[in-house]
Amino acid sequence: MKLDFSGLESSAPLYGGNNELLSDGFSAAPSFDLPVTSDFDDFQKNSIQMVKPAKGTTTLAFIFKDGVMVAADSRASMGGYISSQSVKKIIEINPYMLGTMAGGAADCQFWHRNLGIKCRLHELANKRRISVTGASKLLANILYSYRGMGLSVGTMIAGWDEKGPGLYYVDSEGGRLKGTKFSVGSGSPYAYGVLDSGYKYDMTIDEAAELARRAIYHATFRDGASGGVASVYHVGPTGWTKLSGDDVGELHYSYYPVEPAVVEQEMTEAVAV
Amino acid sequence: MSIFEYNGSALVAMVGKNCFAIASDRRLGVQLQTIATDFQRIFKIHDKLFLGLSGLGSDTQTLYQRLVFRHKLYQLREERDMKPETFASLVSAMLYEKRFGPYFCQPVIAGLGEDDKPFICTMDSIGAKELAKDFVVAGTASESLYGACESMFKPDMDHEELFETISQALISSVDRDCLSGWGGHVYVVTPTEVTERILKGRMD
Repeated sequence: MKLDFSGLESSAPLYGGNNELLSDGFSAAPSFDLPVTSDFDDFQKNSIQMVKPAKGTTTLAFIFKDGVMVAADSRASMGGYISSQSVKKIIEINPYMLGTMAGGAADCQFWHRNLGIKCRLHELANKRRISVTGASKLLANILYSYRGMGLSVGTMIAGWDEKGPGLYYVDSEGGRLKGTKFSVGSGSPYAYGVLDSGYKYDMTIDEAAELARRAIYHATFRDGASGGVASVYHVGPTGWTKLSGDDVGELHYSYYPVEPAVVEQEMTEAVAV
Repeated sequence: MSIFEYNGSALVAMVGKNCFAIASDRRLGVQLQTIATDFQRIFKIHDKLFLGLSGLGSDTQTLYQRLVFRHKLYQLREERDMKPETFASLVSAMLYEKRFGPYFCQPVIAGLGEDDKPFICTMDSIGAKELAKDFVVAGTASESLYGACESMFKPDMDHEELFETISQALISSVDRDCLSGWGGHVYVVTPTEVTERILKGRMD
């Protein structure tokens, strides 16, 4: 419901000098205070930026004793509209490396496929697989060269190489971070809460998968821009495997089943006289 | 995101044969974050008149309190309940009083008028009434709701079928909206009884 507020805008810009005019009782405009700023356009632009949601998604990945666990939701949103509930956000770069998608779908899909190509070329040229460190550096350098051009990518590269499990966070600002636990997207604060409280290095694969699934489920519950299906992948020494893809609508009722309501008052049929 | 999309809401009201149904979602959020999943958006004014308010949560609660006050005064003076048509005019007038600093709400009014004839209407945030014979929608999911209601609605449904139809329309529409959902709340009102039901929906 878009209202026409043009009647409210004062035609004179709000500089210091005009305050005397308004305070002498002749205020024609209705009564709320405009912010004291000389640069009105920038204020509007900044306030739009402030409320702009961060990449609408939840993805997470963490390293534990048996490898890397990677999980993501599957919702794509355009503002308030849900454009899809079945987006593949975990991208299979090659049989032993996974990338996650957050930000622009086209950007992530294209550059991950491009990374897969470069990794294969490296294998053919050097007769051995590329390390996760190398792959993430390739992607980070590409994204850095496009910095400022409007690419939107917030990805995690997870894989298993000669040094064991590897996990890097790479984004379109050109940042690249090595770590053991990451979550990216608008639902990441909620996922971090669950992940941080349940994480232990010595988990089994099943425990780690359940932790990842729970973290995504809790993020989809609280965050409006995350939802759909919680996919969980595991990267081990022999490559990645998809462990599960559960609809979070059903996960909710399996984690928190609805108790049948206690009937307080029952209405009985009135007998016709 | 505009101020109407700050809290998120979905409301729909439908007319059946000598009955009506009004349904809402249950989410209260602060932009993308969900704060509550049991927020009340539909209020009873009297046994045959229900008011649903979509839009900014704070304004919906304040407006509801003011309208209840006005209705109670009316009941004291006239010694009877307000007719839905009269109530709609009251809401419209109160909204237009704030023409230059409006309540950020879109009300949906549903009631049984004279001879228990169902009456529904909606209005924009400054009181423009829209009377409809079949269904009215409001909220962030309104575009999806229009589509769902248009395809699922049939005239002269009885209260069981009306409940099924309005529930399906609500659930399928909020499943396409990030800002509303997390369950549903449906009231079906016939001349003899009011049935209130909570819908199990996707909690994402």
